[in-house]
Amino acid sequence: MFDPKLYSRNPDVAWRLIEGQAVLVHNREGEIEVLNELGSYLWGHAGEPLDGLAGNISQDFDVTKEQALQDSEEFYQALVASGALQPVKGK
Amino acid sequence: MATTLEELFAKATRNSHPIFAMFELTYQCNFACRHCYNPIERKNQARVGKKPVPSAAPLAFEEIVSLLDQLEEMGVLYLSLTGGEPLTHPRFWDILEAAKERGFALRIFTNGALIAPSIADRLNEIGPHCLEISIHGATDSTAEALSQVKGSHQSMLRALGYLKDRGLRVYLKCTVTRLNEGELEGIKAISDSFGFPVFFDPVITLSDDGQEYPLEMRASDEGIAKLYRSDGLNIGNSPFEWEPGELSCTVGAGTLHITPYGDVQPCIQWKQSAGNIREKPLREIWSASPILEEARRVAREMPVLIKNGTRDHAFCRHCPGLSLLRYGDPRRLEEQYLRVARIKAEVSQSEAAAKPE
Repeated sequence: MFDPKLYSRNPDVAWRLIEGQAVLVHNREGEIEVLNELGSYLWGHAGEPLDGLAGNISQDFDVTKEQALQDSEEFYQALVASGALQPVKGK
Repeated sequence: MATTLEELFAKATRNSHPIFAMFELTYQCNFACRHCYNPIERKNQARVGKKPVPSAAPLAFEEIVSLLDQLEEMGVLYLSLTGGEPLTHPRFWDILEAAKERGFALRIFTNGALIAPSIADRLNEIGPHCLEISIHGATDSTAEALSQVKGSHQSMLRALGYLKDRGLRVYLKCTVTRLNEGELEGIKAISDSFGFPVFFDPVITLSDDGQEYPLEMRASDEGIAKLYRSDGLNIGNSPFEWEPGELSCTVGAGTLHITPYGDVQPCIQWKQSAGNIREKPLREIWSASPILEEARRVAREMPVLIKNGTRDHAFCRHCPGLSLLRYGDPRRLEEQYLRVARIKAEVSQSEAAAKPE
Protein backbone atom coordinates (compact mmCIF):
# COMPACT_ATOMS: atom_id res chain seq x y z
CA MET A 1 0.00 0.00 0.00
CA PHE A 2 1.39 3.38 -0.98
CA ASP A 3 1.83 5.65 2.03
CA PRO A 4 1.73 9.28 0.86
CA LYS A 5 3.27 10.50 4.10
CA LEU A 6 6.52 8.83 3.14
CA TYR A 7 6.95 10.85 -0.06
CA SER A 8 7.25 14.49 -1.00
CA ARG A 9 7.71 16.41 -4.24
CA ASN A 10 11.30 16.35 -5.43
CA PRO A 11 12.68 19.91 -5.15
CA ASP A 12 14.70 19.26 -8.31
CA VAL A 13 11.45 19.06 -10.22
CA ALA A 14 10.13 22.47 -11.23
CA TRP A 15 6.41 22.55 -11.79
CA ARG A 16 3.50 24.83 -12.47
CA LEU A 17 -0.16 24.42 -13.11
CA ILE A 18 -0.67 25.67 -16.66
CA GLU A 19 -4.19 25.84 -18.02
CA GLY A 20 -5.28 23.35 -15.39
CA GLN A 21 -2.54 20.84 -16.14
CA ALA A 22 0.60 20.30 -14.12
CA VAL A 23 3.82 20.58 -16.12
CA LEU A 24 6.79 18.94 -14.40
CA VAL A 25 10.33 19.78 -15.46
CA HIS A 26 12.94 17.37 -14.13
CA ASN A 27 15.80 19.82 -13.87
CA ARG A 28 18.57 17.24 -13.53
CA GLU A 29 17.39 14.81 -16.19
CA GLY A 30 15.78 17.32 -18.55
CA GLU A 31 12.58 15.30 -18.85
CA ILE A 32 9.26 17.10 -19.00
CA GLU A 33 5.95 15.55 -17.98
CA VAL A 34 2.52 16.98 -18.75
CA LEU A 35 -0.08 15.50 -16.39
CA ASN A 36 -3.72 15.13 -17.29
CA GLU A 37 -6.51 16.60 -15.20
CA LEU A 38 -6.64 13.71 -12.74
CA GLY A 39 -2.87 13.47 -12.50
CA SER A 40 -2.63 17.21 -11.94
CA TYR A 41 -5.14 16.94 -9.10
CA LEU A 42 -3.14 14.16 -7.48
CA TRP A 43 0.15 15.98 -7.96
CA GLY A 44 -1.34 19.09 -6.41
CA HIS A 45 -2.39 17.04 -3.37
CA ALA A 46 0.72 14.88 -3.08
CA GLY A 47 1.37 13.95 0.53
CA GLU A 48 -2.30 13.98 1.51
CA PRO A 49 -4.11 10.81 2.70
CA LEU A 50 -5.16 8.64 -0.23
CA ASP A 51 -8.52 7.79 1.23
CA GLY A 52 -9.75 11.36 1.15
CA LEU A 53 -8.35 11.98 -2.32
CA ALA A 54 -9.98 8.81 -3.66
CA GLY A 55 -13.30 9.91 -2.21
CA ASN A 56 -13.08 13.24 -4.01
CA ILE A 57 -12.00 11.60 -7.26
CA SER A 58 -14.85 9.10 -7.17
CA GLN A 59 -17.29 12.00 -6.92
CA ASP A 60 -15.68 14.24 -9.53
CA PHE A 61 -14.67 11.63 -12.11
CA ASP A 62 -17.55 9.17 -11.85
CA VAL A 63 -15.54 6.13 -10.77
CA THR A 64 -15.90 3.91 -7.72
CA LYS A 65 -13.82 4.79 -4.70
CA GLU A 66 -12.00 1.47 -4.95
CA GLN A 67 -11.06 2.20 -8.54
CA ALA A 68 -9.99 5.75 -7.62
CA LEU A 69 -7.84 4.37 -4.82
CA GLN A 70 -6.15 1.88 -7.10
CA ASP A 71 -5.58 4.46 -9.85
CA SER A 72 -4.16 6.96 -7.37
CA GLU A 73 -1.76 4.41 -5.95
CA GLU A 74 -0.56 3.43 -9.40
CA PHE A 75 -0.15 7.06 -10.37
CA TYR A 76 1.90 7.92 -7.30
CA GLN A 77 4.05 4.82 -7.78
CA ALA A 78 4.76 5.98 -11.32
CA LEU A 79 5.79 9.40 -9.98
CA VAL A 80 8.12 7.71 -7.52
CA ALA A 81 9.59 5.71 -10.39
CA SER A 82 10.10 8.85 -12.47
CA GLY A 83 11.73 10.64 -9.53
CA ALA A 84 9.08 13.35 -9.30
CA LEU A 85 8.23 12.09 -5.83
CA GLN A 86 11.00 11.14 -3.44
CA PRO A 87 11.14 9.53 -0.03
CA VAL A 88 10.83 11.99 2.84
CA LYS A 89 14.18 12.25 4.57
CA GLY A 90 14.28 10.60 7.99
CA LYS A 91 11.24 8.38 7.36
CA MET B 1 -6.94 13.10 -25.51
CA ALA B 2 -3.41 13.75 -24.29
CA THR B 3 -2.19 17.31 -24.51
CA THR B 4 1.31 17.91 -25.77
CA LEU B 5 3.54 20.48 -24.15
CA GLU B 6 3.41 22.60 -27.29
CA GLU B 7 -0.40 22.56 -27.36
CA LEU B 8 -0.51 23.49 -23.72
CA PHE B 9 1.96 26.34 -24.11
CA ALA B 10 0.05 27.62 -27.14
CA LYS B 11 -3.18 27.61 -25.18
CA ALA B 12 -1.50 29.36 -22.26
CA THR B 13 -0.05 31.97 -24.57
CA ARG B 14 -3.48 32.65 -26.08
CA ASN B 15 -4.70 33.25 -22.53
CA SER B 16 -1.69 35.44 -21.65
CA HIS B 17 -0.32 33.03 -19.06
CA PRO B 18 3.38 33.90 -18.78
CA ILE B 19 5.39 30.69 -18.91
CA PHE B 20 8.77 32.27 -19.54
CA ALA B 21 10.30 35.19 -17.68
CA MET B 22 13.68 36.75 -18.10
CA PHE B 23 15.27 38.74 -15.32
CA GLU B 24 18.34 40.86 -15.99
CA LEU B 25 20.11 40.83 -12.64
CA THR B 26 22.63 43.48 -13.59
CA TYR B 27 24.05 45.27 -16.60
CA GLN B 28 27.58 44.91 -15.21
CA CYS B 29 29.76 42.54 -17.19
CA ASN B 30 33.30 41.25 -17.11
CA PHE B 31 33.35 41.13 -20.90
CA ALA B 32 32.96 44.01 -23.35
CA CYS B 33 31.71 42.19 -26.43
CA ARG B 34 31.77 44.20 -29.62
CA HIS B 35 28.40 42.90 -30.77
CA CYS B 36 26.66 43.21 -27.40
CA TYR B 37 23.41 45.09 -27.00
CA ASN B 38 24.26 46.18 -23.46
CA PRO B 39 25.24 49.85 -23.70
CA ILE B 40 26.55 50.15 -20.15
CA GLU B 41 29.79 48.31 -20.70
CA ARG B 42 31.76 49.79 -23.57
CA LYS B 43 35.24 49.02 -22.35
CA ASN B 44 37.94 49.71 -24.93
CA GLN B 45 35.39 51.00 -27.37
CA ALA B 46 34.31 54.41 -28.47
CA ARG B 47 30.96 55.17 -26.97
CA VAL B 48 28.21 56.05 -29.36
CA GLY B 49 25.77 58.37 -27.71
CA LYS B 50 25.68 59.13 -24.01
CA LYS B 51 26.24 56.43 -21.44
CA PRO B 52 22.77 55.57 -20.19
CA VAL B 53 22.29 56.64 -16.61
CA PRO B 54 19.69 54.63 -14.70
CA SER B 55 17.08 56.80 -13.05
CA ALA B 56 16.89 54.57 -9.99
CA ALA B 57 18.96 52.13 -7.97
CA PRO B 58 18.92 48.48 -9.00
CA LEU B 59 16.40 46.31 -7.22
CA ALA B 60 17.46 45.42 -3.69
CA PHE B 61 17.50 41.78 -2.67
CA GLU B 62 14.22 42.10 -0.77
CA GLU B 63 12.59 43.57 -3.87
CA ILE B 64 13.96 40.72 -5.94
CA VAL B 65 12.48 38.18 -3.53
CA SER B 66 9.13 39.93 -3.84
CA LEU B 67 9.48 39.76 -7.62
CA LEU B 68 10.20 36.03 -7.44
CA ASP B 69 7.11 35.55 -5.27
CA GLN B 70 5.01 37.38 -7.83
CA LEU B 71 6.45 35.43 -10.76
CA GLU B 72 5.69 32.18 -8.94
CA GLU B 73 2.16 33.30 -8.13
CA MET B 74 1.58 34.17 -11.79
CA GLY B 75 2.61 30.67 -12.84
CA VAL B 76 5.93 31.39 -14.55
CA LEU B 77 7.70 28.07 -15.10
CA TYR B 78 10.99 28.95 -16.79
CA LEU B 79 12.97 31.80 -15.28
CA SER B 80 16.10 33.00 -17.06
CA LEU B 81 18.69 34.87 -15.02
CA THR B 82 20.77 37.04 -17.30
CA GLY B 83 22.67 40.30 -17.46
CA GLY B 84 25.22 41.70 -18.08
CA GLU B 85 26.95 38.80 -16.46
CA PRO B 86 24.61 37.48 -13.76
CA LEU B 87 27.44 35.95 -11.72
CA THR B 88 28.80 39.45 -11.05
CA HIS B 89 25.69 40.32 -9.03
CA PRO B 90 26.74 40.52 -5.36
CA ARG B 91 23.69 38.49 -4.26
CA PHE B 92 23.72 36.04 -7.17
CA TRP B 93 23.71 32.94 -4.98
CA ASP B 94 21.00 34.22 -2.68
CA ILE B 95 18.86 35.03 -5.71
CA LEU B 96 19.51 31.65 -7.28
CA GLU B 97 18.60 29.81 -4.09
CA ALA B 98 15.49 31.92 -3.56
CA ALA B 99 14.42 31.21 -7.13
CA LYS B 100 15.04 27.48 -6.73
CA GLU B 101 12.95 27.42 -3.56
CA ARG B 102 10.09 28.88 -5.56
CA GLY B 103 10.09 26.01 -8.00
CA PHE B 104 11.25 27.65 -11.23
CA ALA B 105 13.08 25.81 -13.96
CA LEU B 106 16.13 28.05 -13.94
CA ARG B 107 18.13 29.04 -16.98
CA ILE B 108 21.38 30.91 -16.33
CA PHE B 109 22.80 32.96 -19.21
CA THR B 110 26.50 33.46 -18.66
CA ASN B 111 29.79 33.90 -20.47
CA GLY B 112 31.23 31.19 -18.22
CA ALA B 113 34.42 33.05 -17.37
CA LEU B 114 33.73 33.16 -13.63
CA ILE B 115 32.89 29.47 -13.32
CA ALA B 116 35.71 27.94 -11.28
CA PRO B 117 35.43 24.40 -9.85
CA SER B 118 33.96 25.73 -6.58
CA ILE B 119 31.36 27.72 -8.53
CA ALA B 120 30.48 24.66 -10.60
CA ASP B 121 30.07 22.68 -7.37
CA ARG B 122 27.68 25.24 -5.99
CA LEU B 123 25.71 25.36 -9.22
CA ASN B 124 25.46 21.59 -9.10
CA GLU B 125 24.14 21.69 -5.53
CA ILE B 126 21.40 24.11 -6.49
CA GLY B 127 20.60 22.35 -9.76
CA PRO B 128 19.42 24.85 -12.37
CA HIS B 129 17.63 23.50 -15.42
CA CYS B 130 20.49 24.62 -17.67
CA LEU B 131 23.30 27.06 -18.26
CA GLU B 132 23.36 28.85 -21.59
CA ILE B 133 26.87 29.93 -22.38
CA SER B 134 28.06 32.25 -25.12
CA ILE B 135 30.81 30.95 -27.37
CA HIS B 136 32.47 33.57 -29.55
CA GLY B 137 34.94 31.60 -31.61
CA ALA B 138 36.94 28.43 -32.04
CA THR B 139 40.25 30.16 -31.34
CA ASP B 140 41.56 32.39 -28.59
CA SER B 141 42.25 35.24 -30.98
CA THR B 142 38.76 35.37 -32.48
CA ALA B 143 36.94 34.94 -29.20
CA GLU B 144 39.09 37.58 -27.56
CA ALA B 145 38.64 39.95 -30.47
CA LEU B 146 34.91 39.81 -29.80
CA SER B 147 34.93 39.68 -25.99
CA GLN B 148 37.84 42.13 -25.70
CA VAL B 149 39.10 40.19 -22.71
CA LYS B 150 42.38 38.34 -22.75
CA GLY B 151 41.93 34.70 -21.78
CA SER B 152 38.14 34.77 -22.22
CA HIS B 153 38.05 31.76 -24.52
CA GLN B 154 40.21 29.56 -22.32
CA SER B 155 38.28 30.46 -19.18
CA MET B 156 35.03 29.57 -20.98
CA LEU B 157 36.47 26.24 -22.14
CA ARG B 158 37.61 25.42 -18.61
CA ALA B 159 34.12 26.22 -17.35
CA LEU B 160 32.61 23.82 -19.90
CA GLY B 161 34.85 21.09 -18.53
CA TYR B 162 33.87 21.77 -14.92
CA LEU B 163 30.19 21.76 -15.81
CA LYS B 164 30.46 18.62 -17.89
CA ASP B 165 32.31 16.82 -15.07
CA ARG B 166 29.39 17.57 -12.76
CA GLY B 167 26.74 16.53 -15.25
CA LEU B 168 25.15 19.97 -15.58
CA ARG B 169 23.15 20.71 -18.71
CA VAL B 170 24.73 23.32 -20.98
CA TYR B 171 23.57 24.89 -24.20
CA LEU B 172 26.13 26.87 -26.14
CA LYS B 173 25.01 29.93 -28.01
CA CYS B 174 26.95 31.60 -30.75
CA THR B 175 26.11 34.90 -32.33
CA VAL B 176 27.49 34.64 -35.85
CA THR B 177 29.60 37.68 -36.69
CA ARG B 178 32.01 38.71 -39.40
CA LEU B 179 34.83 37.84 -37.01
CA ASN B 180 33.81 34.26 -36.24
CA GLU B 181 31.95 33.21 -39.39
CA GLY B 182 35.02 31.33 -40.59
CA GLU B 183 35.16 29.27 -37.41
CA LEU B 184 31.64 27.93 -37.16
CA GLU B 185 32.71 24.37 -37.91
CA GLY B 186 35.37 24.70 -35.23
CA ILE B 187 32.80 26.00 -32.77
CA LYS B 188 30.59 23.03 -33.59
CA ALA B 189 33.57 20.72 -33.04
CA ILE B 190 34.16 22.25 -29.61
CA SER B 191 30.54 21.80 -28.65
CA ASP B 192 30.62 18.20 -29.89
CA SER B 193 33.78 17.51 -27.88
CA PHE B 194 31.93 18.44 -24.69
CA GLY B 195 28.66 16.84 -25.76
CA PHE B 196 26.80 20.14 -25.44
CA PRO B 197 24.54 21.37 -28.25
CA VAL B 198 25.37 24.68 -29.88
CA PHE B 199 22.86 27.07 -31.42
CA PHE B 200 23.90 29.73 -33.89
CA ASP B 201 22.11 33.01 -34.35
CA PRO B 202 22.98 35.23 -37.30
CA VAL B 203 20.93 38.20 -36.11
CA ILE B 204 22.67 40.93 -34.15
CA THR B 205 20.60 43.32 -32.15
CA LEU B 206 20.98 47.04 -31.75
CA SER B 207 22.23 48.39 -28.47
CA ASP B 208 19.54 48.77 -25.85
CA ASP B 209 19.64 52.53 -26.35
CA GLY B 210 18.96 52.14 -30.05
CA GLN B 211 22.48 52.60 -31.43
CA GLU B 212 23.44 50.60 -34.50
CA TYR B 213 27.15 50.04 -33.73
CA PRO B 214 26.72 46.30 -32.94
CA LEU B 215 25.54 45.81 -36.52
CA GLU B 216 29.10 46.48 -37.72
CA MET B 217 29.75 42.88 -36.66
CA ARG B 218 27.18 41.37 -39.03
CA ALA B 219 28.30 38.24 -40.85
CA SER B 220 28.50 37.94 -44.64
CA ASP B 221 25.89 36.22 -46.78
CA GLU B 222 28.23 33.28 -47.20
CA GLY B 223 28.82 33.03 -43.45
CA ILE B 224 25.08 32.90 -42.86
CA ALA B 225 24.43 30.48 -45.75
CA LYS B 226 26.75 27.94 -44.13
CA LEU B 227 24.30 27.65 -41.28
CA TYR B 228 21.52 26.41 -43.49
CA ARG B 229 23.15 24.15 -46.06
CA SER B 230 22.38 20.50 -45.57
CA ASP B 231 26.09 19.69 -45.86
CA GLY B 232 26.92 22.56 -43.57
CA LEU B 233 25.96 23.14 -39.98
CA ASN B 234 22.24 22.71 -40.61
CA ILE B 235 21.27 24.25 -37.32
CA GLY B 236 18.06 23.45 -35.51
CA ASN B 237 16.06 25.33 -32.95
CA SER B 238 17.13 25.54 -29.35
CA PRO B 239 14.79 23.79 -26.90
CA PHE B 240 13.27 27.18 -26.19
CA GLU B 241 12.50 28.15 -29.78
CA TRP B 242 9.66 27.02 -31.98
CA GLU B 243 9.07 26.98 -35.70
CA PRO B 244 7.07 29.86 -37.16
CA GLY B 245 3.56 29.71 -35.78
CA GLU B 246 1.75 30.43 -32.59
CA LEU B 247 4.74 29.93 -30.34
CA SER B 248 7.50 31.42 -32.46
CA CYS B 249 7.12 34.73 -30.65
CA THR B 250 5.22 34.87 -27.41
CA VAL B 251 6.10 38.48 -26.62
CA GLY B 252 3.96 39.99 -23.89
CA ALA B 253 1.74 36.90 -23.69
CA GLY B 254 3.79 33.84 -22.80
CA THR B 255 6.94 35.84 -22.02
CA LEU B 256 7.82 38.78 -19.85
CA HIS B 257 11.01 40.57 -18.98
CA ILE B 258 12.26 42.48 -15.96
CA THR B 259 15.22 44.85 -15.93
CA PRO B 260 17.64 45.28 -13.01
CA TYR B 261 15.65 48.40 -12.10
CA GLY B 262 12.28 46.68 -11.91
CA ASP B 263 10.88 47.77 -15.24
CA VAL B 264 8.63 45.20 -16.87
CA GLN B 265 9.03 44.84 -20.61
CA PRO B 266 7.22 42.63 -23.13
CA CYS B 267 10.56 40.90 -23.80
CA ILE B 268 14.29 41.58 -23.70
CA GLN B 269 14.12 43.19 -27.15
CA TRP B 270 10.94 45.23 -26.69
CA LYS B 271 12.47 47.98 -24.61
CA GLN B 272 9.39 49.93 -23.58
CA SER B 273 8.55 49.77 -19.89
CA ALA B 274 5.04 48.54 -19.24
CA GLY B 275 5.39 49.58 -15.61
CA ASN B 276 7.69 49.21 -12.65
CA ILE B 277 7.28 46.66 -9.90
CA ARG B 278 8.21 49.33 -7.36
CA GLU B 279 5.05 51.16 -8.28
CA LYS B 280 2.53 48.43 -9.04
CA PRO B 281 2.17 44.70 -8.49
CA LEU B 282 3.44 42.67 -11.42
CA ARG B 283 0.06 41.09 -12.03
CA GLU B 284 -1.55 44.50 -12.34
CA ILE B 285 1.06 45.61 -14.87
CA TRP B 286 0.63 42.34 -16.75
CA SER B 287 -3.12 42.61 -17.01
CA ALA B 288 -3.55 46.33 -17.62
CA SER B 289 -0.58 47.67 -19.56
CA PRO B 290 -1.40 49.11 -23.00
CA ILE B 291 2.19 48.35 -24.06
CA LEU B 292 1.77 44.66 -23.30
CA GLU B 293 -1.60 44.68 -25.03
CA GLU B 294 0.03 46.16 -28.14
CA ALA B 295 2.81 43.55 -28.00
CA ARG B 296 0.19 40.78 -27.87
CA ARG B 297 -1.63 42.29 -30.82
CA VAL B 298 1.55 42.42 -32.89
CA ALA B 299 2.40 38.82 -31.97
CA ARG B 300 -1.05 37.69 -33.11
CA GLU B 301 -0.66 39.60 -36.38
CA MET B 302 2.79 38.17 -36.98
CA PRO B 303 1.91 35.41 -39.49
CA VAL B 304 0.13 37.98 -41.68
CA LEU B 305 2.88 40.56 -41.27
CA ILE B 306 5.45 38.02 -42.43
CA LYS B 307 3.30 36.69 -45.27
CA ASN B 308 2.69 40.18 -46.58
CA GLY B 309 6.19 41.40 -45.86
CA THR B 310 8.36 39.15 -47.99
CA ARG B 311 8.15 36.62 -50.78
CA ASP B 312 10.51 34.51 -48.67
CA HIS B 313 7.91 34.36 -45.92
CA ALA B 314 8.23 30.59 -45.50
CA PHE B 315 11.76 31.17 -44.18
CA CYS B 316 11.22 34.40 -42.32
CA ARG B 317 11.08 35.14 -38.65
CA HIS B 318 10.18 38.44 -37.13
CA CYS B 319 11.24 40.16 -33.93
CA PRO B 320 8.84 43.02 -33.26
CA GLY B 321 11.01 44.28 -30.41
CA LEU B 322 14.03 44.66 -32.66
CA SER B 323 11.87 46.35 -35.31
CA LEU B 324 10.51 48.75 -32.73
CA LEU B 325 14.02 49.59 -31.57
CA ARG B 326 15.36 50.03 -35.08
CA TYR B 327 12.44 51.56 -36.97
CA GLY B 328 10.01 52.64 -34.27
CA ASP B 329 7.53 50.22 -35.84
CA PRO B 330 7.08 46.72 -34.39
CA ARG B 331 5.16 45.61 -37.48
CA ARG B 332 7.88 46.38 -40.00
CA LEU B 333 10.06 43.36 -40.81
CA GLU B 334 13.65 44.00 -39.83
CA GLU B 335 16.36 43.98 -42.46
CA GLN B 336 18.45 41.20 -40.90
CA TYR B 337 15.52 38.78 -40.68
CA LEU B 338 14.64 39.55 -44.29
CA ARG B 339 18.23 38.93 -45.26
CA VAL B 340 18.38 35.61 -43.42
CA ALA B 341 15.10 34.57 -45.05
CA ARG B 342 16.48 35.43 -48.50
CA ILE B 343 19.65 33.45 -47.85
CA LYS B 344 17.67 30.46 -46.55
CA ALA B 345 15.42 30.59 -49.61
CA GLU B 346 18.45 30.71 -51.91
CA VAL B 347 20.05 27.75 -50.15
CA SER B 348 16.80 25.82 -50.35
CA GLN B 349 16.35 26.57 -54.06
CA SER B 350 19.92 25.71 -54.99
CA GLU B 351 19.76 22.44 -53.08
CA ALA B 352 16.42 21.54 -54.69
CA ALA B 353 17.86 22.29 -58.14
CA ALA B 354 20.92 20.14 -57.46
CA LYS B 355 18.87 17.07 -56.47
CA PRO B 356 18.89 14.32 -59.10
CA GLU B 357 15.43 13.72 -60.61
